[in-house]
Amino acid sequence: MLSVKMAGQEDPVQREIHQDWANREYIEVITSSIKKIADFLNSFDMSCRSRLATLNEKLTALERRIEYIEARVTKGETLT
Amino acid sequence: MPLVKRNIEPRHLCHTVLPRAIKNELECVTNVSLANVIRQLSSLSKYAEDLFGELFNEAHSFSFRVNSLQERVDRLSISVTQLDPKEEELSLQDITMRKAFRSSTIQDQQLFARQSLPIPLQETFDLCEQPPPLNILTPYRDDGKEGLKFYTNPSYFFDLWREKMLQDTEDKRKEKRKQKLQDPRMYDQVYRYLDLPGQVRGNERTLETEKIPRAPHDRKKEWQKLALGAELAEDDSEEALKHREANGSAAYHDRSGAPNYLDGMDGPFSLAALPYSQMNELLNRPGDRMYTRPHDPPPPPPMHHLGDINPPSMISSSSGFSDSRPQSPAQTHGFNSNTPPPPPPPLPPPPPPLPSMSGFGPRGTPPPPIPPLPVQQQPPAIPPPPAPLQIAPGVLHPAPPPVAPPLHVSSPARLQQVLDRGPTPGQSDETVLPPPPPPPPLPFPGVRSSSPCPPGPPAVPSFLSGAMASPLSHSGGKKHSASLPPISDARSVLLEAIRKGIQLRKVEEQREQEAAKHERVGNDVATILSRRIAVEYSDSEDESEFDEGDWME
Repeated sequence: MLSVKMAGQEDPVQREIHQDWANREYIEVITSSIKKIADFLNSFDMSCRSRLATLNEKLTALERRIEYIEARVTKGETLT
Repeated sequence: MPLVKRNIEPRHLCHTVLPRAIKNELECVTNVSLANVIRQLSSLSKYAEDLFGELFNEAHSFSFRVNSLQERVDRLSISVTQLDPKEEELSLQDITMRKAFRSSTIQDQQLFARQSLPIPLQETFDLCEQPPPLNILTPYRDDGKEGLKFYTNPSYFFDLWREKMLQDTEDKRKEKRKQKLQDPRMYDQVYRYLDLPGQVRGNERTLETEKIPRAPHDRKKEWQKLALGAELAEDDSEEALKHREANGSAAYHDRSGAPNYLDGMDGPFSLAALPYSQMNELLNRPGDRMYTRPHDPPPPPPMHHLGDINPPSMISSSSGFSDSRPQSPAQTHGFNSNTPPPPPPPLPPPPPPLPSMSGFGPRGTPPPPIPPLPVQQQPPAIPPPPAPLQIAPGVLHPAPPPVAPPLHVSSPARLQQVLDRGPTPGQSDETVLPPPPPPPPLPFPGVRSSSPCPPGPPAVPSFLSGAMASPLSHSGGKKHSASLPPISDARSVLLEAIRKGIQLRKVEEQREQEAAKHERVGNDVATILSRRIAVEYSDSEDESEFDEGDWME
């Protein structure tokens, strides 16, 4: 009896509070997902940049080698 | 702590002020939070798009490079298959003439400049407060600087560094030239034209051997300069200007006819010892080095003169006079600039030369012909040497008449000789140099002290023209005596004017040079540094081996 009565008395408040808790949990889930997305984006950016930098290095090395080979193979190009 | 590049905008979800007339506050807060969450998501998506865009741009540029590389590889493969080892022609010319392989050394520059700032950071920067608009005061300034520069100047330190670098390169160049001048291997060039006793010649052999390694060194430096851009090719003409501008101790210019210039530098052996033909040849050799000629005229006088005038600015042919001997070596060392200042032309005192002239006898065949000549004629100067220096008279004016009485005696006589192309006895008692009447006589000491070389070329032609006019006007020697007194005053005035003109011109030229230099250099850190390093490397002989190895790769 008492418990039912108490529940009935606090129902609107408790309902509100329960609802509020549910809302907050919902918002918390969303914000944590947003944080996960942000983290993912940061790490993706970092890894992508490091890979691109490696690529850049390889490309530069290749370009230098090709330049050298071209210089060896082609004739002409004297000083004067 | 990493710098925040992208800030998601609604930092706090529910740190807002709630309106008062609301029953269900909790619901209000929830709704506000949800709305902020949506805003956060939108800013997140915006930043994500920007991030992927940056990555995409980089990858895109790589794709271009890869494609070009692919094409080059294809072409190379074709050409390699076509290569026939038997066709390979190896001519000696090819080995030497072919341009040495140099990989492209493109350096990344301006990496962290305002233009390369990422967009999100630029937006963050734009959120900051602007500095006060002091630039509206710029039109009212006298010195032409921007008003804001006095409040905040982002390029201040870079400008400071650039100035320092440029100044350092200049200093290094001057040092190098001074060292070259003082370098004993310069003697080789000097003594080549002089008939010197064996003791001096002994140095020639050793110095000649040292001279050879220097050749590729200079070449390398020149190539380095040229490689950096056409703008640097102007450096040589600038250096010549600078040398002329510099004080008497300005740097010695390699290409200039140093020998002519340094002729008088040797200590105990004066040009008087040279046969007339040699002197003539010497003087006439450099067509553009007119102002070097003045040195020749009176070998004896210069030495004496040196004692009275600033040694560094003096370029005088040394004479073999005992009293002047200690001076001349000092002169050779002290004198750095290759461009002899117009004034120096030595009209040193004749008397000292006379007694020492007799000492030339035992020297050798070349000396004898000359000493007898002066003995026959007036004590001062050796007529033949001055004769070719007709042009010199204009420059000789600065020769200090007032320096010393004996100087005066010799100078006028010498000048007359120069003008008349023949020994004319007489006006030795005059204290004024007759030469270029048109140009007012300049006070010699004044010109000496200024020791500005730069005006040489501009000033000399004017002198020369005046000098040429004077000989014509003073066809006979009769007019000399009459014109001498008035000319002396005129000459002093002319000397003053010339000195001022020289100084003015020097400042102007310096300003022009500096302005031109700053315009050319711009913000290119790589070129500034490379220029400085090039000068440093060429400065130190020790590096030559390393550098040559570099070239030969």
